[in-house]
Parts: sequence; C-alpha cells; structure tokens
Amino acid sequence: MKILVCISNVPDTTTKIKFNESNTSVDTTGIQWVINPWDELSLTRALELKDDPSSGIKSVTVAHVGTASSEPTIRKALAIGADDAIRINSESSDAYYTSAQLAEVIKKEHFDIILCGIESSDYNGSLVGGMISEFLGIPSVSAVSGIKIENGQAVLVREIDGGKEVTSVPAPFVAIVQKGIAKEPRIAAMRGIMMARTKPLKVIEPVEVDSLTEITVFEKPAPRSACKFIDPENPGQLIDLLQNEAKII
Amino acid sequence: MTRQIVFAVTLLITFGVFFYTINRIISYFKLTRPAFTVRDFGKRFGIMMRVAFGQAKIFRRPVIGFFHALVFWGFCVILIGSIEMVIDGLAGTEKALKFLGPLHDIIMVSGDIFALLVAVSIIVFLSRRIFFHIRRFEGIEMKRRSHLDAAAALTLILLLMISLITMNMGYLGYQEATGGSIEGIYPVARILITLIPVPAESSRIIYEVSWWAHILLIFFFANYLPYSKHFHVFMSVPNVFLSRLEPLGKLTNMDNITREVKLMLDPAAPAPAPADVPAERFGIKDVEDSTWKNYFDSLSCTECGRCTSVCPANITGKKLSPRKIMMDLRARMKEKGPLMVRSRSLSGGREFNDNRSLLRDYISEEELWACTTCNACARECPININQPSLIVDMRRYLVLEEASAPGGLKAMFNNIENNGAPWQYSAEDRLNWAKDLEIPVMSDITSRGKKPEYLLWIGCAGAFDDRYKKVVRSFVKILSHLNVSYAVLGKEETCSGDPARRAGNELLYQMQAFQVIGVFKKYEVSRIITVCPHCFNIFRNEYPDLGGNFEVISYLQLLTRYMDDGKLKLDPAALKNVSVTYHDPCYLGRANDIYDEPRSILKNLTGNFTEMDRSLSFSLCCGAGGAQMFKEAEKGEKEIFIERTEDALKTGASVIASACPFCMTMLTDGLKYKNREEDIRNLDIAELVAQSLGL
Repeated sequence: MKILVCISNVPDTTTKIKFNESNTSVDTTGIQWVINPWDELSLTRALELKDDPSSGIKSVTVAHVGTASSEPTIRKALAIGADDAIRINSESSDAYYTSAQLAEVIKKEHFDIILCGIESSDYNGSLVGGMISEFLGIPSVSAVSGIKIENGQAVLVREIDGGKEVTSVPAPFVAIVQKGIAKEPRIAAMRGIMMARTKPLKVIEPVEVDSLTEITVFEKPAPRSACKFIDPENPGQLIDLLQNEAKII
Repeated sequence: MTRQIVFAVTLLITFGVFFYTINRIISYFKLTRPAFTVRDFGKRFGIMMRVAFGQAKIFRRPVIGFFHALVFWGFCVILIGSIEMVIDGLAGTEKALKFLGPLHDIIMVSGDIFALLVAVSIIVFLSRRIFFHIRRFEGIEMKRRSHLDAAAALTLILLLMISLITMNMGYLGYQEATGGSIEGIYPVARILITLIPVPAESSRIIYEVSWWAHILLIFFFANYLPYSKHFHVFMSVPNVFLSRLEPLGKLTNMDNITREVKLMLDPAAPAPAPADVPAERFGIKDVEDSTWKNYFDSLSCTECGRCTSVCPANITGKKLSPRKIMMDLRARMKEKGPLMVRSRSLSGGREFNDNRSLLRDYISEEELWACTTCNACARECPININQPSLIVDMRRYLVLEEASAPGGLKAMFNNIENNGAPWQYSAEDRLNWAKDLEIPVMSDITSRGKKPEYLLWIGCAGAFDDRYKKVVRSFVKILSHLNVSYAVLGKEETCSGDPARRAGNELLYQMQAFQVIGVFKKYEVSRIITVCPHCFNIFRNEYPDLGGNFEVISYLQLLTRYMDDGKLKLDPAALKNVSVTYHDPCYLGRANDIYDEPRSILKNLTGNFTEMDRSLSFSLCCGAGGAQMFKEAEKGEKEIFIERTEDALKTGASVIASACPFCMTMLTDGLKYKNREEDIRNLDIAELVAQSLGL
C-alpha cells in the first residue's frame, strides 16, 4: 500500500502576520515557513505505519501545491522520512484549486491512503481533504484521530461528541486528520537530512482549474484589550464593569 | 642458585601473563575512536603531580581521603622496596640498593612506616565496607561481584602489608641473632619485635617466608588487577596525566556535523551523492563509537561512587548513576571487545554485530535523559574521569541517528529551528522586555556610524521569561548608571544553541552557532557581556571551535571589575538586616570556575552572608541544566529543585541570590512548593545591586 500525505507550507506559528500596503496580500518577508502542524502529524503517523512491516505500507509520498520557494519545507518532509515528493508548480489560490490539483496527481499515481490535515494553520479553511474525495469519488473520513492497519484494512478512529467512533473504509480513501493522530511530530535524523538532498522531488505543472474565491482585503482582528484586575474585596466594581462596560448583565 | 632460577621463572611467568593481558587490552583500545591529541606535557605533568601524586581531589572528602592518600603514597614508597626485592631475587643479593646509603635508609624507613599506615587504612576501608552501611557503596550497579572484588583487592593489599612487616621483623631478628649489619631503618618492625619477641632461630624462616609471600603476592596482585576494578592502581595516574584539559563546561565539537552544516549553509555546494553519506555513526551507540579516552576512563574507575554520590539525578532517586555509565562501558567492552577482535582477524570488520549494544542493553535512555550536565560527577572524580561527555555523546546518537528524544525536547528543537528560541515566541517580541527603557540596539547604533564597546547578550530567558525580564531590566539600569558603552542585538538575537546541544542535537546547535557568529562578525563585535550562564559558557568555550573567537564576560565579572576599580560603589549597609545565601549556577561555577565574583558582590551588599552546605564546587544543580528545563523530569523520588530549595532554606537566609534564569525558575518554584514565597525572596544578583543603587 502507498500513502500520500498532502502538505501545506505555512508561516511558523509565532509569526506576526503583516500585510502589504493595500492589505491585499500577506507580506512574506522574514517569515519562517514550516510544514502545517496537522500535516506534520499525519506524516509522522504515516511513517510510523511504514516502520511496522506488518502494515504492508510500502511507501510514503508527500504532495504540495506551491512554487519553488516552498521546496525547503518539502525537503524537510523528506528529511523526516518521506520516500519521495511531488510539487505541483503553482501558487495556490484557494482550497478548490489546491484540491483539484492534488486530485489530478492522485488519479495518475494511485495512492491507497490519502492523509490531509484537518486544516492548515494559515487560512484554516478545512476544505481540501473533503474536496479531494469529491473530485475522486472516493470515501473520506473526517476528524480522524487514529489510524492503524489490520489485515490489510485501515481502521480509523474518529472523535465524535462524547466519545470515539471506530470505522473501517476500503482503500483508496481520504483521511482528514486532526491532532492526536500521532503523539508528537517526528524530528529529522541527521542521516535523513543528508539523504533528503537526493530523494526524488518531482515537479509537475498544474492542470487548468479556475479558482472559486478571490481575496479582496486582509484585516487583522482587533487587538485584545488589557486584562482588568478587580480587588476581591470589591465585588461592586465587578458588577459595575459587567453592567456598564461589558454590558452583559 | 636454585632460588634465583625459581625466582626468575616466576618473574617471567608474571611478566608473560601481564603482557598477554595488556596486549589484549591494547587490542580493545584499537577498536575505539580518536579523542584529542595529547599535547601540553608541562601542564599535564602539573595536573598529574597535583591530582594524582598530591591526591588533591581525593581530599575533597578530607577524612577518608586522608586514608586513601596514605595508601597511595605508601604504594609509591613500597614500590621502590619491591624493585629492590626483584633485584635481590634475580641476583641472589640482599638489600641490593644499600649502596645508596642514606637514601636507602629513607626508602626502608618510609616503607616500614607506610606498611603500617597502609595496613591501618585498609582495615578502615574494609570495616567501612563490612560493618557500616555507606550509601556510596550501594546502587543498582553494585552487584555482589563488585563488593567481592573490592573486598578481595583490599584483603590482598592487607596481606601485602602484613607480609612486608613480618619480613622486616624477621630481617631484624635474624640479623641481630647472626650479628650481621642491618641495612636500613625499621622502626615499626623494631617496636613489634619488642612487643612480640621472635625466637632467633625462627627469624630467618619468618624472613624467608615473608619475603616470598610478599613478592609472590605482588606478582599475583599485578595480574589480578587488570581483571578487577582495581586496575585503577595502574590506570589512574596515567588517566590523570591524560585528563581532558578543557573547562568542564565545554563539549567536544562534532567535526563531521560541522562539515554537513557548512554544506547546508553554502547554497553553491553540490548535493553529495548518497554514497557520500558517512557510514560512521554520529554519537555513541556502542563501544566502537566511544573514544580511547572514554575507555581509558572506564578502566581507571575503581567504583568509589563519589560521582554518583554528588549526582543530582541520583540523589533524588532517578536511575542515572555516573559510576554505572563507566562500569557499563567497561563491561560492554569486555563482552564485545574479544568478539570484535576475533572477527576483525577474520574479516577486518568493525561491522561485527552481536545484536546487543551499550545503549539499551547496558545504559537505558531513561538514564541518559536524567543527566543535567551539571558536571558535579566530573568535578568530584578523584582521577578526572569525564562522565558527562560519554552521556552527551550517547544522547547525540539518539537524536542524530534515531531522531529520538523526550517529547518536550523535540518541541524545543522545533521551536529553536522555527522561531529561534526554545519557547514559542516570535523574534519580533525580543525587545518587549525593554518597554519604556531606552536600550541601544546594534543596528541603529552602527547605522549612525558608532560602535559600542560591548555587545550585551540578553538570551531567550531574558527576552521572553517574565521573571527574568525584570533581571535584565535591572542589569541594563546598572549599565547606564556605570556609563558602560553597550548595545543589544534586539530582533537579531536568536538562541545560542545551548539547550539543543546539551540535548544531543549537535546539528541544530551548529546551525544556531554559525548564525549567531555571523551576526557578531557583521557588527565586528569583539567583547560580549552575557547574563545567562549557559550562553556565557557556550560563547566562551564552544564557539571558538566554529571560528567564533570573542572576549566573553559574565555580567558578574563586569560588575566585579567596576567594583574593584571603585566605579561601582556598593553600600555595605544596603541589605543590612537581610541574610543572603547564594546558589552557584553550574555553568558559572563548576563549568567556568566563577565562584568569587558573586560572593564578593554579595559581601559588599550585606554583612550577613551564609553559604549553603553544598556550595562552590560542591554546589547542587537546580535541576534545569542540560536541557532538563524543557522536559519532564525522569522518574524519581523527588524533584531536584526541591532538594536544592531545601539546601537554601536550611541556611535561614531570607534572600536566595542566584545568577541564572533557569536556576531562578527552579528555586522560585521550590519556594512555592515549600509555601515560603511570602517570606523568602529569590533574587538575581543584578536585582540586588540595582536595588542597592536605588535604580
């Protein structure tokens, strides 16, 4: 069996996001780019499965829609342990575009398990995984927090209200993965980093797809106002503030 | 003549067996990797005289150390007498060295007296092992065999001394009976024969029997030693001579990683073919990855357990015992060495594999991750064994080869890699600590064509830890007060790489180090002041290996300099009613011998300064070093920070002064745990100085 992990290239979580002067694009100067944390966990779990010979997983591939500038992030995924990588050479404009491109790749390369992070930490659209499965007409399972292979069949654990659901799906399928799928992201070993330089990274040109969305303007959330401390001896002040300032009672 | 022949044959057998053993041990040394090149013979000779012959470190425990020193010095003196016995045995002479005259007398008299002193000391040692429960002699690594070995070696030495004394008694007795001249002076034997008179006719027999017993015991002892922990007797003096000469805080640079990092940093470098990936392991997994010095250390170890008795992890019930690390290396070589040597003669292979390894089959990951790299063990070892270097090299294997580390450390690695700090904070926020203060920033200053005298390195804790921000604020106020010309890097600062390096991630450390050195060089920095002792140590001792040579001083050194020059005037009544104690950060104290500066500052602030029981080089780690700050403590009976806080509370001081961000976090937590944060304050020396200056 072959696993494909779709990875998104996102700004490091500590980044202070800035926009260009017209607020129409993100100012990328000085940004440290990383693998989207959910995708990183998916990759970690995929590699764990491959490490276990009884799983029958033969290879782990990563795929990404992006320009050459995201290659360091792809190499990072290879260093962590992916066997090969595919980059669809295009600036992604929205989830529809990205999933259409990824679906094309999956059609050609035939993967059994497609892992997508439940969302990406930049736009948090939570759309790509579901759209891929629709494009391909294959099952998708959302909010997956556990995956194992039993007798050649994938067994998935989903988080549901008040409990867990265990489900089994025939391959190929898309698993939309959330935190919990792996304990912590795997780090790259020295040898992995050295090998990553020469692992296959295939660049393919995008297919013709129209974007469905257009970003007109970026806006930052209003800064959080300062925290007010109230003397425990003075509950009257609390009531006053809740009534007159917060206007909630 | 027969006697001489018998003696010569015995001597020959002794040497034969001895060289056979030594030859085998040399073949094991050939399996190890290079360490450092042995240079600086003058310096080494000095260390050997002081530490080995002067027994300087054994006296860190004065009483029992004194007994050991007697045994050591006794052995040295008695050895000369034994050489004379060998000459006598071969040549058929008696007291062959008597031509040395008074010198011979001195050798004999000191041998005679030391024989008694050594015997007494050995009886003390044996009774400590048999009748008293001494914690140092126990532990998971101290199996029955170790105890028997110790008892056997001590008994042998005792028999050696008894035979020497009876030999001297017999010698006196028979010379006096036959009217022969007595060569040498034997006060102990003299007293003993007056107490226990020996019949003249038996004296000769006693002398002969004792002579043979003594020399045969020596021969046996010499060949028993290499198979015992008491190989120490041969190895310890050379081991001290071959000591690592670098400060305890310095870790050895991994040059194979430096090569890789340089390739990564040079975009023009061609990607090497997979065949270029070196087969050599990164770090230590098994004996063949260790250096000759690691193995030498392990052979010299006599399992005294002084290292383990000062290890903060061991004291608090964790599995780590530095003594065990050394014993395990020795035992694993004993197991694998012969197999490797045999397979080498067949296929020349270092590839020999018995599906076991030093890591895991002997030393568990839990032990390795419990180390705080506080260097208490190495500081304590009477023969300069360096345990932390082996521990860190094994961590390096885990991280670099297996990408394996406790979760907290992996997160720390990711943070350093992604946002340049061990915690998740943006570099954009690096100057938040300086809010409302006018802090000169390097890029502004240099763009105005000026060059400050010092670069002030804030460190990640100073920049992001709310408590330590206050310390840094206090310190810059002092700098302004003293009109020191300085600037900070601000957003251009990034992690120095210390926690990554001590957690075994040499690659990440070197990436950080090259980046920091690049920034320092861009601004032509020559002098650096550090607040964090970990950054201080890494800049001072470790960056030079990567081409970063700067004059690095700790803020305490700067303050002391200004104090000595009279520019910083502290009011001795500033803290007049406040009793103060001081916790030595490992990376200032043991790692870099900065003990006096903090004390001289504190003593200028208060007349009421109390030391903790464990202070100076005996100081106990706070528990956060060696990247422990970023992970859960390993399983144990107690947290190290609580143990250390209790030390501080015992002094009754109302201020615990410290000089390290990690120590501060730990001790403050300790005070909270003990519910003492109301009445006892944990303050940095910079804060105390600033307070006294009214800043």
